[in-house]
Amino acid sequence: MDAPLPKRLWKIFTRSYVGRSIFRVGIPESNLERSEAMVSSFLLHIQPAKVHRHSLKPGYTLGLGLISLYLFLILIGSGTLLMFYYVPSTERAYDAMKDLQFVVSAGLLIRNIHRWAAHLMVLFVMLHLCRVFYTGSYKNPREFNWVVGVTLFLLTVGLSFTGYLLPWDQLAYWAITVGTSIAGYAPIIGPKLKYIMLGGTVVGQEALTRFYALHIIVLPAIACTLLGVHLWRVRKDGGLSRPDENGDSIQRIPLGQLPQNKTYGLMELAHGTTPHVGKNPEEEVFSWPHLVFRELILFLIVSAVVLFLAIFWNAPLEQYANPIHPPNPAKAPWYFLGLQELVSYSAFWGGVVVPGFLVMALVLLPYLDRGRAGVGRWFARERALAISVFSICLAAAVVFTIIGTYFRGPNWGWVEPWKEQPAAVEGH
Amino acid sequence: MDRNSVRKFYGWFTFLGLLVGGLVVLGYYKDNEREWKGYQRAFIAEETRRAVTADQKAQAASIPIEIHQILLPELHRVDRCTTCHLTVEDSSYGGYPQPLAYHPLHEQHPFDKFGCTVCHGGQGRATTTADAHGDVPHWDEPMLPMKYIEASCGKCHEAEDNPSAPELARGAQVFQTSGCRGCHKLAGIGGIIGPELDKVGTRRSPEWLRAHFLTPAAVTPGSGMPPQKLADADLDAIILFMLSQTGETAPGYYASMRVIPSAAQGQRLFQQKGCIGCHSVAGQGGKVGPALDDVGLRRTPEWMVQHFRDPQSVTPGSVMPKFGFTETEAKALTDFLMHLREYKIASSLPSLLSPMERGHEVFRKYGCAGCHGQEAKGGVPNPNSKTAELVPDLLKVAEGYTKAELKARIMNGQREIAVLDPKRPPPPLYMPAWGNTIPEAQINDLVEYLFSLKPKGEDLGF
Repeated sequence: MDAPLPKRLWKIFTRSYVGRSIFRVGIPESNLERSEAMVSSFLLHIQPAKVHRHSLKPGYTLGLGLISLYLFLILIGSGTLLMFYYVPSTERAYDAMKDLQFVVSAGLLIRNIHRWAAHLMVLFVMLHLCRVFYTGSYKNPREFNWVVGVTLFLLTVGLSFTGYLLPWDQLAYWAITVGTSIAGYAPIIGPKLKYIMLGGTVVGQEALTRFYALHIIVLPAIACTLLGVHLWRVRKDGGLSRPDENGDSIQRIPLGQLPQNKTYGLMELAHGTTPHVGKNPEEEVFSWPHLVFRELILFLIVSAVVLFLAIFWNAPLEQYANPIHPPNPAKAPWYFLGLQELVSYSAFWGGVVVPGFLVMALVLLPYLDRGRAGVGRWFARERALAISVFSICLAAAVVFTIIGTYFRGPNWGWVEPWKEQPAAVEGH
Repeated sequence: MDRNSVRKFYGWFTFLGLLVGGLVVLGYYKDNEREWKGYQRAFIAEETRRAVTADQKAQAASIPIEIHQILLPELHRVDRCTTCHLTVEDSSYGGYPQPLAYHPLHEQHPFDKFGCTVCHGGQGRATTTADAHGDVPHWDEPMLPMKYIEASCGKCHEAEDNPSAPELARGAQVFQTSGCRGCHKLAGIGGIIGPELDKVGTRRSPEWLRAHFLTPAAVTPGSGMPPQKLADADLDAIILFMLSQTGETAPGYYASMRVIPSAAQGQRLFQQKGCIGCHSVAGQGGKVGPALDDVGLRRTPEWMVQHFRDPQSVTPGSVMPKFGFTETEAKALTDFLMHLREYKIASSLPSLLSPMERGHEVFRKYGCAGCHGQEAKGGVPNPNSKTAELVPDLLKVAEGYTKAELKARIMNGQREIAVLDPKRPPPPLYMPAWGNTIPEAQINDLVEYLFSLKPKGEDLGF
């Protein structure tokens, strides 16, 4: 049967002298070539040559981690383009936003892409975290990768938060003012922490400079590094979690305790276990095309969704930042509104104790919840207690965020969003 | 591997690839299709229609479609209005409908130095009609309605100096006579009961100001400001004057341009420089120099300007010093002196006035009329005050106070006003302590004025 034209052209190219120097394998035809394609390509080698069928089930991972990764890549690309116009100066940043909108070719579109991808990334990293929890995937041997993942989640929020200030409009200015003052509620270190973040006591040029540096180099560099560690450990910890994992006969021997009366190949040492050739071969399929093609499809879907949102809904831009004219209410970015709602009850409990406790609980979770049961299944009955506790916290976070977002009006008073709001009263 | 599943993959690739590609094309189309391009095409079409020779036609056809902008770094502005309003400087487009209209009378304010938004308001960086004209959410400076356009003159120029802005001068006049300064401070002069007005033009819209003057409490709940009874034209004029108060300072080049030589400015200079020390007007003043009453008949304007530059060059042996007047100042003084008779200078020079007349000026300058009524006749409401819910008139202060008592009363004020009904909120208006604001000599004059108000023929009325 004739292959489609693009495929034939691609084949001709990859078999040419130049094509072979770049791609080595070309479009793989045999199982050997499929393995070689994965191993010999820089972009593909981080993934295994063969992958377990369970890991490919869309209903298991929902693709959440991969979506987060794609959004991150889109953010790096669109953010780089924005940097060509942006100037981190309180006098010029806002003008740069206006120029992007009115005179730069595709400027508004790129800004919209960046904004939407940023919001979506915060959302999808959260969802990914929930997926990993509900499938028990943080359990041995993946404890530390969970910790890395929680750190990446905090970095994502940090990236979004630092980027929030950069347009230097009213929305940016007051969201950061509110957000950093929540940080200031921490005992002892709070005021210092706030001072370090802002480079002063109020949001000004120093804060903009710091947030810019954090946003474009410090946090992305840390995030990229940890992302590499995160992906690398997924493989080193035996791929994605799956239900029969603990049931199969792999007996892991800690590196230091290998029997000394044997010689070992490097591969065995690297895995810290005895290779088990022929074990469950029928459950594994070649990553090319089963994994790679699915990943490509997901990338196209994410791109389409982000483009669609960016074309039809513009990123907000309010008035130029005005330190003496706070909006009422001044609201933090949406992912902090749950916290802001808590802070409105008690600055200490809402701003310090609860978030501090939640972050600590997330980090320590795999070391506290060490049961081996229920790994690789959604909502395993054996984990009813852990799942209940997590779900209650999650539901509370969602409820408080919704209240903070939709039910809070002037002076943080209760409003019902479906009712007509009285026009804001202008004071002198 | 299964051929069918690979086919399915290729199906997905094709569909999603087309979808993403289509969205990219849509995004490009949406970005590329801009409102201003239509206006530029219409301009090119009009130029082509006008072209007669082949050369002109070729020239019209080669007009590029591109953003036009005026960069105004000193004014912190970039005005792109000329992207659509392409013909503001082309008088052959006089009478055309917008956006292709000619802007007359811009010789004093060349576009490349002033742009558009500094006078008209709106959003200079924007390139769509709605955004540029500024009537959109999150833009606080929409275009100034033409009715109030003279407010922009007042951002740089003194209201009374500018003969082309009569409405502005009228607004300044209404502001002064209504006694707004009794409660509000403007340019450092005025009371403390209401907010300062130095930047009110940037905070408030014409609609807000109108509502505010008619029923202050409607837009500022709890406001104690009495509703103003103004004729329609006066109301518009004072709104316009308020809009001109933006607190903007003219930088560099613009500062050097802002003084308009006018008789009003000449009069200010005449008073400031102390001309009256050597010259006399209406018999008042020094005898060293000649009397100036009829100087406009004796001298030409050219002579006078030269005289201000260098007195000895036109009057050898003159003892008048060179004051170093700028050209503008020399012109302003000349203007003033040429029209001296019309200005009745003698009645407005402080040193020539009687204390009572000066006191009347003080009464006007500090806005006493805002609370105590025009000519201190009262009638301004002060809800829940014991004095018939009105601010008291001042016609009979001579009967209740000695001069020293009245002076102390003005200097110290009265914060607590006696209430009519203790259950209702206290009266909003009170007497501020003016001792820190009005110089003591002027308070003495003010007392003289107030004592002069006692109705004639009632001396023995009690």
